[in-house]
Formats: sequence, structure tokens, C-alpha cells
Amino acid sequence: MRVLIIDPDPARAALVAEGLAGLEPFEARHEAVFDEARAAAFAPDVVVVAADSPDRDTLESLREASQTNPRPVVMFVDRSEPGLAEEAVRAGVAAYVVDGLAPGRVRAVLEVAMSRFSLMNQLRRDLDKAKADLASRKIVERAKALLMKERGLEEETAYRLLRKLAMDKGRPIGAVAGDLLAFAGVLKGDAS
Amino acid sequence: MSALTLGFIPLTDCAPLVVASALGLFREEGLEVTLSREASWATVRDKVAVGALHGAHMLAPMALAAGLEAGPSPPLIAPLALNRGGSGVTLSAALVRALREEGPLDARALARLIARRAAAGSPPLTFAVVFPWSIHNYLLRYWLAQAGIDPDRDVRLVVTPPPRMVEQLRGGAIDGFCVGAPWNAVAMAEGIGELVLHGSAFWAGAPDKVLGVAAGWAAEQPDALQALLRAVLRAGAWADDPANRPELIALLAQPGHVGAAPEAIAFALNGELVFQRGDAAFPWRSQAAWLLSQMQRWGQAGPDLDAAAVALAVYRPDLYRTAAAALDLAAPTVDSRPEGAGGFFDGKAFDPAQPLAYARSFAINRL
Repeated sequence: MRVLIIDPDPARAALVAEGLAGLEPFEARHEAVFDEARAAAFAPDVVVVAADSPDRDTLESLREASQTNPRPVVMFVDRSEPGLAEEAVRAGVAAYVVDGLAPGRVRAVLEVAMSRFSLMNQLRRDLDKAKADLASRKIVERAKALLMKERGLEEETAYRLLRKLAMDKGRPIGAVAGDLLAFAGVLKGDAS
Repeated sequence: MSALTLGFIPLTDCAPLVVASALGLFREEGLEVTLSREASWATVRDKVAVGALHGAHMLAPMALAAGLEAGPSPPLIAPLALNRGGSGVTLSAALVRALREEGPLDARALARLIARRAAAGSPPLTFAVVFPWSIHNYLLRYWLAQAGIDPDRDVRLVVTPPPRMVEQLRGGAIDGFCVGAPWNAVAMAEGIGELVLHGSAFWAGAPDKVLGVAAGWAAEQPDALQALLRAVLRAGAWADDPANRPELIALLAQPGHVGAAPEAIAFALNGELVFQRGDAAFPWRSQAAWLLSQMQRWGQAGPDLDAAAVALAVYRPDLYRTAAAALDLAAPTVDSRPEGAGGFFDGKAFDPAQPLAYARSFAINRL
């Protein structure tokens, strides 16, 4: 079975392809953009496409057989139980199957794709959070340095002051530190 | 506050939703709305179907297509139209140069060129539309067919997502396209294509996008639905006001909205694109019937389709009138009207009671 993965996120596509390597004998290829000529040359049995790829609409148009499209595709969820369709949409995955392929063989492919998408999306969220945490830590450091300079505080005291401000206002310490830096900028005339 | 999520595609006619959100109109009507920028119409359709979106900016035929086999309980309803006009047919600069040698720049010149290319054994010209169920597909097919060009045999029609139209034209993968604003203007600004048919020249006041809403949600939350319609109508009126044009263009140009050059966005807004003015937002069942007649004409729906029943179930002018009345806006008192007389560029009239006869009346059809 040949599986074509279309995903603007190459890392996620690679993760899906790797997951599929554990399945039956088959060939997987992933591309960021669906190209009809390249796809025709590969002749996939299944196309797995990310919901955030605009190419889904092109794949939709291949559902009717025509002179230029002798192998029409169907959307896999058309042929499956409703629960699976919903799960796939929520996971951000769609699958198109060349008409005639047994649904049972495709289900495994779709399940791998869904689990890998969830994994990748979780990794991306973790990474975004780590980046945000790091940025917040840098802002706290800068606000602390400002307090030490302007108020002549020790590092520990400056930090305790920021933490108290955050607790009094019920806001994250990074947000309070950001406000402090912004106001200091205004007072210095940076943001007139 | 009712919380809901609405989808949109990066096109100029998503304006009523973006404006209602940015101006706080949803909030004023008691709604907590999250807008979700989507990459494809297919994903919009699927997300509404599974409840991940409560409603969305949709191609009018898409909402109807979802109801083709649903009888009186369609999955989606269209209680409001989001815009009229703004779409058009753009041909590549090279094709336009070749056509100018034929005479006036129209579909007949294109037909002569296509016939000559076929006789010389050249590959067929390729044109792109945005989705099989779209006014763009029907507009392009109608325009080609009235000049004797069979859109399924004499040319190759493909589907390309709107933001990719321009790069495909630039690269020579397609020779022309029919797409909504701002992408015709983007191609013109780059000098790679020429707009040869404005949507308004094809059909003044043609239907384009609708607000498609999950029927189940609408039935369970009639008050929230009315609040939604009021907010979108108010946003449409704001977006139509020329005084707000610079602010609207800046808002739409943002990468999270349409993400195109302000000049390209301005083109259709300063031209034919209307959101609410002149009953533009009214969901005419006669226009639904016209779209359904084109589905029959091109084989997307069978000849036994009960177009009147689908139009009745999906298009909901009754819900529009309730919202309009709450805002002291006048609304049409009838649901259908003869379409086309003096409005279609070929002068052919459409009787909404006879969609199948109309579809059969064209020399080129798939019935």
C-alpha cells in the first residue's frame, strides 16, 4: 500500500511516516504541498492530509472520475463509523482513499496518523510553553536588574518585591515584570 | 454570554465576521465569539459537521450541498448572506496577449483560440476554481459554455486554494482562474494576469458567501442565533460605510485575517463588493434554486433533486427577518423572485420554480 502524506508541517509529516513504518509492507512519502502530477506518478492508495493544509480542497475535487482523473478518491470518513470521523476532524487529519480499497486496511493508517498528529501537537504546545517560560524568565531578570539599579535593592529583595506585586495583583510574575519595564520605558520617554 | 467558535477563510468577504469581532459587536450582543482561521473549505465543512465550529463563512453552494440528501433536516442552515460581488475571472498575461490578437477580449475569442489549439494538437488550457461547490465554478463554467466551450472537455478545470491561485498563475501551471477578492487584484498588481470578467458583470448581485450555521446548534440556541445575526448585520453595515474603509482595509490586511496587501484588498471594496447595503445580506431562496440548478446542469446533483425543498430547508429568510426587524432594518417580504432578468450578462432569465428546465435549456449540460 502506498501512502502519500500532505502536511505543511514537515516534522509532523515525518513523524506520521515513521509511525506508519511499523505497519504492513508499504511505501510512505510526505510532501508539504499536493502536486497532482507528482501524486499521479506515485499513485498512492491513501492520501493523508493535514486539516490545516489548503490542499484539502484540491483533493475534494478528485472525488469525481474524469479523463484526467481516472482513479477517483473518496473521503475515508464517508466509509467509516461516525465516531471515527469526528475523532479525525478533531485530531486535524483527513484521509482520501482511492476508490475500491478495503476500509479495514485504511483504518490502521488513519489511527497512526491521528495519534502522531496528537503527539506532534502536544510537543509543539510544550515547546511554545517552554519558549514563553524562557521569555518570561528573561523579563523577570531585566525587571529585577531595573529595581536593583533604580531603588538600590539587593537581588533577593528585588525579586521578593516583584513576587509581592504579582501576588497583590493576582497576575503572573512575568506579566508584572513586563508592565514594570514598559512603564519604566514611558518614564524615560522611550514610548512617547 | 453564549460562547461560540466561527470559522473563516482568508478572503475579503470574511469582513463581517472579522469586523463584528474587532469592534466588539458580538460582545455587545451577548456573545463570546472565537474566530478560527481555516485553510480549506473542506475543513470548514467537516468542523461544522462534527461541532468543532458552530458556524462559518461559507460558499453558498457548500451549505446547499450539505443539504442535498438530508430532506427537511439539513445539517447546515444559511440564515444570512455575507456578501455580493467581488469574484471574477482572471486570465494570464500571456493568454490575454494571444486573445487580443483574436479581437475583443471575451469568451468567444477564447473559444476560437481553444479550437485552434486543439486542431494543432496543443494541450488543453487549464483553469482553476476554488471549490467544486462554489459560485466561482458555476460562473466560470457558465461563461465558457455560453461561448461554446465545454468546461469538461475543451479545457482542464482544477481546484486550487485561493491563496495559491497567484503563484500557480505565475508559474504557468494554470492559464486563468475564477476566485474571490482580493486574489484577482493581487494577480493584476503583479502584472501576471488581467481581470476579464467581474462577478457583477456576470450577474449583478450574485450570491457569494453565506453565514452557514450548524442546524442543531441553531435549533437549540435560537436567542444566541439571533444575537449572532444582529452582530453580523451591524458589522456588514459598518463595513459598507465608505467612511470606515481605511480602518476596514487595515483590519483585513492583518496576517491573521486575509494577510494580503492593503491595495489589493481595497480594489474590490472600492468596486463591487457589498455586505449588507440594499438587502445584500438577505438569503434569497431563488438564488439558492439557481445554484442548485447549476449543480444539476453540471452533474453534481441528479435530475430528480427537489431544488425547492432544499432551498426551503437550508436558506432561512424567516430567521433573517427576525434579526433585521430587531435592528429596524427593512427586509424583503417575499422569499423568492425571478432572478437574472437584466442582471445576467447574457440576459437569460431564471424562474426559481423551474430549475431543472432552466438547467436543461443550456446547449452544454451534463443532464
